[in-house]
Amino acid sequence: MKQHDDGTLKYSSLGIIWLWLIVFALLPFCLVALASFASHDDAHLLSFPLTLANYAELNNSVYLRIFKQSFYIAGTCTMICLLLGYPFAYIIARIRSRYKSFLTLLIVIPFWTSSLIRTYSMITMLKPKGIISSILMWLGIIDKPLPLLFTDTSVMIGLVYNLLPFMVLPLLTNIERLDHRLVDAARDLGANRFTTFRRVILPLTMPGIISGCILVFLPAMTIFYIPDLLGGSKSILLGNLIQNQFLVAQNWPLGSAISVVFTLILAIMILIYWRTMGKKDHREFL
Amino acid sequence: MKKIIPALCLMLIALSANAAENVINVYTWSGVIPDFAIRQFEKETGIKVNFSTYDSNEVMYAKLKADKNTQYDVIEPSSYYIDRMRRQGMLEKFDKTKLSNFKNLNPKFIKQAYDPETNYSLPFIWGITGIFLNKDYYKPHSITRWTDLWDKKYADQLLILDDSREVFSMALLVLGYSANDTNPEHIKQAYLKLKEIYPNVKLFNSAVISILIDEDATVGMVWNGDLFKAKKENSQLEFIYPTDKFVIWVDNFAIPKGAPHLENAYKFLNFMLRADVDKAVALDNNFPTANLAAQKLLPGNVKNNPTIYPSPEILRNGEFQTDIGDDALNLYEKYWEQLKMGG
Amino acid sequence: MKQLPSISYLTAIYLFFYIPIIVLIAYSFNQAQYSLVWHGFSTRWYQELFSDADLWTAVWHSLFLGMCAATSAMCIGGLTAICLYRYSFFGRKLLYGLIFILILSPDIVMGISLLILFSLLQVTLGFWSLLLAHITFCIPFVVVTVYSRIISFDEYIFEAAKDLGAKDTVILTRIILPLLWPALLAGWLLSFTLSIDDVIISYFVAGPDFEILPLKIYSMVRLGVKPEINALCAVTFGLTLLLVIISQLSLRKKP
Repeated sequence: MKQHDDGTLKYSSLGIIWLWLIVFALLPFCLVALASFASHDDAHLLSFPLTLANYAELNNSVYLRIFKQSFYIAGTCTMICLLLGYPFAYIIARIRSRYKSFLTLLIVIPFWTSSLIRTYSMITMLKPKGIISSILMWLGIIDKPLPLLFTDTSVMIGLVYNLLPFMVLPLLTNIERLDHRLVDAARDLGANRFTTFRRVILPLTMPGIISGCILVFLPAMTIFYIPDLLGGSKSILLGNLIQNQFLVAQNWPLGSAISVVFTLILAIMILIYWRTMGKKDHREFL
Repeated sequence: MKKIIPALCLMLIALSANAAENVINVYTWSGVIPDFAIRQFEKETGIKVNFSTYDSNEVMYAKLKADKNTQYDVIEPSSYYIDRMRRQGMLEKFDKTKLSNFKNLNPKFIKQAYDPETNYSLPFIWGITGIFLNKDYYKPHSITRWTDLWDKKYADQLLILDDSREVFSMALLVLGYSANDTNPEHIKQAYLKLKEIYPNVKLFNSAVISILIDEDATVGMVWNGDLFKAKKENSQLEFIYPTDKFVIWVDNFAIPKGAPHLENAYKFLNFMLRADVDKAVALDNNFPTANLAAQKLLPGNVKNNPTIYPSPEILRNGEFQTDIGDDALNLYEKYWEQLKMGG
Repeated sequence: MKQLPSISYLTAIYLFFYIPIIVLIAYSFNQAQYSLVWHGFSTRWYQELFSDADLWTAVWHSLFLGMCAATSAMCIGGLTAICLYRYSFFGRKLLYGLIFILILSPDIVMGISLLILFSLLQVTLGFWSLLLAHITFCIPFVVVTVYSRIISFDEYIFEAAKDLGAKDTVILTRIILPLLWPALLAGWLLSFTLSIDDVIISYFVAGPDFEILPLKIYSMVRLGVKPEINALCAVTFGLTLLLVIISQLSLRKKP
């Protein structure tokens, strides 16, 4: 009787979750993979026969450049977030004050207003007659409005602004867990500040750094609305390319092929991360 | 958790009951139908309007293609998309007995090549794609032709419409071809010509009013109605009819095949065709109207404004945008995408 | 005296986070309709905000969708975490891997994959397609949140209960759920936040019948914002800030 009872709960919940994941996660991903081999014609979004033409088309210098440019922009954004975020997280983690939890909360609060709207308010600030230019002109630092909006710089500012918290939060959790006695020990043993950082703090906080980097890098390549709004639809990321194939050019097979290649590259990167970090760490991933 | 699930079910039931009410889904170009017209229609008929907008024909077409059980009841494509969708059997044939205000339409715009019997489309607004400049930044009348935009002194300054057809038309006209050219060789030349203008482009955008007013861009391509609207808040704006020809386009209402609320769609279209309604709408969107009865009701300063209703002499220099067939359109799309990625 | 650079650095970053929001709130009082340049003080947009029925429909749709998605994701994700912890079964590692991959898979790929699925199954795009998509992307976050909490439990509690003859369902309702509710709540909140702010996935699977706030904002931002959207954000920001302050104060009162 008891055994039977055990089974019901276990198998029904396992049934639900498997069914859900297979229908809404595995199956769709397989469909994308399948769609990437489909042909394209005007009347249908996807049609037979299956072909490799879509992948062949990707071997076009334009697409290759988008891939490169996307990785470059996302990589730069990740580096900036890391350089800005690491000291920030470190200072907050080391604070001994009753305001600490409040300071942490302050990082999260902006999340609760729409990221689109916050991006939009970036436009207000960056435009030629916007706040930044006006203030600089008022101070007499510049005499002509700065051409900030609709440039690569404005896209980068928008990306960093939106993604910096994703870097700070994992770093913060990680640095808080850092045993500070190790740092003291290193200093006692005569290591200077730089050596202590390089040999002790950095390796111990590496998991946080890597999770932060992944959490920034992945979205940075696909948030299509930031280049759309801040880049004047000119500087294109992979996200824009895929979105464009699906919702403007109506070439689903090509869009799928781009997604498949993109996913594979990400998968390889994550696999390398897994291998180097050892599997035990993936649990503390987030 | 046990309490939550029944509560959730109840909410869902309440919601689906809500969905069955008297509604219509309208999907149009942004900025052409003002809120007050929608409210007035809702008030007069009791039909709730779900109103959404797009900023390119391609997006609208892709949305309709992606969802086979179409949800939209009224759409508003440009004429060349009317032809494309008509050929693909995506549009509902009108029952004109239900459109008593059909007679208000300007005869100039009905029975055109894209819809020879006007069975699938109702012309709504038309307009001209021209050039604008801001007199604070450039000498007035310093630009007269499309070709001038290729000048190196406009590096990184142009506002270009985010619309493949319009941009290719510009290049084709500069090359001396028709804006409706379907010759692949000519289209390729147009693409190469456009690659030369790319360094001058500051941004691609089709919803330009605040960009014009705030001077985010001070020279480029524009639709005449948008310029007129922006000029009310920034008097330095100037509209130019390019002397190397320009495009005249028409946007039309249509009903997608299988529209779920067909009767409501007719009511909505007939409402929009009413002279008093269309007059108010035209005064808000500032585009020339295809509704002759409404045009007559417009105040003199609009009716006689050369930016909106240019003289026949100027119009003679314009070319109507017509359908170019799927093959040419796909070619445009392909080149367009490459162009936006920087060549 | 090395505090000063630290404090100024913190301040600089916080300013970077908050200046756009402050600007946004300031501009919600701007008189101009199209322009983003200051034209004078006005509360006109707040009046328009409170009388714009369409916008409120979208707000209500978003909240409703968020609540449905978060609740379903909490149930399914919670059960999954419990199963992963308590039982050993065929494919356990695979399940874990799948959830991990779901977290990492780019939003846009998930969006298009669901679009293809719905399009092939001829599911009408609207509330249901949105709900299914949102539940799917929320589940893994609930699993991770709950799982990280559940592994800190003392395993012997369950053993003891079992030895005392408690059935699985009793263990679930009497022991696991009471211990787990903070984590479940956290998962729910996380899902809710993700759901009401999602643009990318919703962009692909939304239909005309059920407009949600992020997409409405997206089309407004792209096609010309009405400043009332600034007013809406000022209001939501004010409300969240209020909630945060209240929760902070009530927490501080407790020892």
